[in-house]
Amino acid sequence: MSHTTVKQKRTALKVARSSKTLNVSSGVFRVNQSMTKTINPSFSGKSFSSGSDSKVLDKSLAQTPKHTVQVFDEHGQDITPHPLYNPDPGVLQPKQGKIFPAHEMSWTTMTDFPSVAFQTTNASFTGPFTRSFFGSASASRTSQTAESVTDETKDFIVKPDLSSSLTDVQTRREKVKEQVREDIMDRVVDCYLTETETIWLLDIPAVSVSVDSEDAEAVKERNNAYTELCKNRQGNDKYVERSMQTFNDAPKTKEVQSDSITMVDKAVMSTTWDMYDSFCNKSDVSENTVVSAEGNKATVPDSSSMSHLLNPSGTDQSMSVFSTTSTVSGSSTHLEKMTVLPVEEEPDLELILQSDKFKQDLAMMERVVLANIFQPKLAAYRQLPVIEGDEESWTEQTKNSLSPFLEHLWAFKCELTMGRNVSSMTWNKKNPDLLAVGYGQHEFKDQKPGLVCCWSLKNPTWPDRIFHCESGVTALDFSSCNANQLAVGMYDGTIAIYNVQTAEQTPITDSSDCANMHTCPVWQLRWVDHDTGLAGEEKGEMLISVSGDGRISKWIHYKGLECVDLMKLKSPNVTINRQQWNPKILSLAPGLCFDFHPNDSKIYLAGTEEGQIHKCSYSYNEQFLETYEAHTGPVYKVAWSPFCPDVFLSCSSDWTIYLWRQDLPKPVLGFSSGQKVVFDIMWSPHCATIFGVVREGKVEIWDLRVSSLDPTIVSLTSTGVNPTVLLFTPETDCVLVGDSEGHVTVYKLKNLPAGGSTQVETLEDVIWSTLSSQHTLGKTDGSA
Amino acid sequence: MLIVLQLYFSFHSNDRQTEEAPVLSDMAEVEDTLKRIQGINGVIGTIVVNAEGIPIKTTLDNSTTVQYAGLLHQLTMKARSTVRDIDPQNDLTFLRIRSKKHEIMVSTDKEYLLIVIQNPAE
Repeated sequence: MSHTTVKQKRTALKVARSSKTLNVSSGVFRVNQSMTKTINPSFSGKSFSSGSDSKVLDKSLAQTPKHTVQVFDEHGQDITPHPLYNPDPGVLQPKQGKIFPAHEMSWTTMTDFPSVAFQTTNASFTGPFTRSFFGSASASRTSQTAESVTDETKDFIVKPDLSSSLTDVQTRREKVKEQVREDIMDRVVDCYLTETETIWLLDIPAVSVSVDSEDAEAVKERNNAYTELCKNRQGNDKYVERSMQTFNDAPKTKEVQSDSITMVDKAVMSTTWDMYDSFCNKSDVSENTVVSAEGNKATVPDSSSMSHLLNPSGTDQSMSVFSTTSTVSGSSTHLEKMTVLPVEEEPDLELILQSDKFKQDLAMMERVVLANIFQPKLAAYRQLPVIEGDEESWTEQTKNSLSPFLEHLWAFKCELTMGRNVSSMTWNKKNPDLLAVGYGQHEFKDQKPGLVCCWSLKNPTWPDRIFHCESGVTALDFSSCNANQLAVGMYDGTIAIYNVQTAEQTPITDSSDCANMHTCPVWQLRWVDHDTGLAGEEKGEMLISVSGDGRISKWIHYKGLECVDLMKLKSPNVTINRQQWNPKILSLAPGLCFDFHPNDSKIYLAGTEEGQIHKCSYSYNEQFLETYEAHTGPVYKVAWSPFCPDVFLSCSSDWTIYLWRQDLPKPVLGFSSGQKVVFDIMWSPHCATIFGVVREGKVEIWDLRVSSLDPTIVSLTSTGVNPTVLLFTPETDCVLVGDSEGHVTVYKLKNLPAGGSTQVETLEDVIWSTLSSQHTLGKTDGSA
Repeated sequence: MLIVLQLYFSFHSNDRQTEEAPVLSDMAEVEDTLKRIQGINGVIGTIVVNAEGIPIKTTLDNSTTVQYAGLLHQLTMKARSTVRDIDPQNDLTFLRIRSKKHEIMVSTDKEYLLIVIQNPAE
């Protein structure tokens, strides 16, 4: 079929394409040739084949040169692809003539050759057969026409190389090739054939035998026998023709359905901490599974992407899984534990809420939340720069006034302390943020159970520690040696020492078992450190108390409190007039306050209810060193100046405050402003000339540099509320005022004249000038 | 929305040294403290979330609670992963997110999350 089509198409075939096909077809031909001859292997490729085929092409072209395909595009232009190779038929014919007579015998078979050649792209079975004939024919002749064939083949080998590159100018090339041929003819060239990676030697043994070979006879016999057999085949009974038909069964489709294959993505992220945890937990795998269940719950980051099963009843084996979708971390030990553990939800809640850590976190969170609110106030307290907030009033207040005033920062108050009278306040010696406040009534009536609250600056809304006491608290002091010990003096004369580290309501020790306990309210307590230990006396800290029964006692904590009397405050009748001293009646004046000298801890002052101030010595417990009399009412407070060693202040309910020098029996200066009872005074720990005064209804700050007649700052409290206690802060310039409503207000001293030094000289100058003015004026009383 | 993340690696050491650390004795104290925190001016809500991200105690409505709990749980896990990746012996203790309108404070632990949402401007 293809024969005919190819024959018709022979003329129409594109010349360019043919070179390819002919290349392929003549592969075998080429090899056969090369087996028996030494042909230049470089030319054994396509060039040779095309050479041999080109002669066929040339023949075809010579026969029908006119029938060519012409291609026109839409515009009618002739875009016929020109052939790459246009041999000159006139020049080539004689050369072709050379070859063709050499292959005369096989010429008849050659009629099929072009067709075969063209169709070799599709079917290659007949090709090799016919070609092998051609090859064998040529092989039979090779020995005779070896030289000429080589020459011609070489001739044609050379030609297509050049023709493939150029399309025009054939004649000149012919001449060149003529000369090359002449040269090559005289040379003997050794050619070696080897296989490469892409070129193989095809070995098909010949099916034809030479007449001269050894087994030609046998072959001839066999050939003859075969021809005889073929002749006998026609009517022979031995050979019967049969045909078979194969059944083509009808096709049948069969379907199979399977479950949908679900694809699950699983990812594991290995992180540094995960590896660390696995390594640490490796040793815990063998432990109790219940314990490890809780450990599972605890390791929050080890989560897998399984769904969470809520099972409140907890009876089934529900898996404790974590419903996070973000990260999946694999931990082999963890996954082991995960499988078999029953999980209960109920105790989870309780366990969490009751754990210690949760309580601590709660407390810290409370402080954090409050810190957000109180941050400007606390920053002002600590003298830090304030972060700008939205509060307008804050900045207004600071801009307006230039005169000294008390800036209200905040107030320690809560519902527990509502309505209670603040009786004493003290700072913790070690932690400057901890403030102990004692609540108790001063008067005899309205006595109710007392309260001690330890406030922290970080939480102004609720105290950190709350201790309920049986009777009203009247005195407080923190120990310096053991900063967690708080001594509390009460209205009924009991002294208790609390440990504020825990929240236990019971004190460490109590003086109620002591035989010598005070019978009247303990008005002041102080831990005094006797560094300069006397010979025979024990060193260390001692608790000293003064009480309304006229005794100043030293308490020792040794399996309970035991006291030793330091001094008995004898009533003035006895001391002034010693001859009238009646030993039977030993009346003691109730002591209200005392203060140890800051430098010499053996000297102390004591103020009594009868208006006298006694200077006593630690070593003398019978006699006073000196007595200062000026007050006409109970002396509520005496205070040594922290800067000037000889100066002290005293305040009393006779509306006056006196400044004394310890060597003068009469006060140097007196301060009074209004007819109000003075409850408390305190020297400022920063400036020698400043002290604070708490009167009924007023808080006053006196600055002796400015004036000794009037207070520099007067701050009125709300009506009905009396400030009762005053406390300066040891590190910042704030002052705390406790009042009868249970509030402890923190004020900041603003716009006070700042002094570089502690102004000790100023104070002394003031005193000296006052004294000298007194002298000049003659002996007058201290201004009252 | 401006978000500022502050990661606290350790508690204030000052308080631990002295006797100031407050200790609550029993469940009533815990309830009291929670009530106090909720009563502070500006606090919008308080949520306690367990280790799995399930809220166990809350003062907000259900949908808001679930939303906060889920989102903050994931963020806390990521923050904890970050901290521990840098040093596996370290752990996250506190997380603070300050935005234009609110501040969200999360106190973290292995067992729970304590979330407080506050409006600091009152």
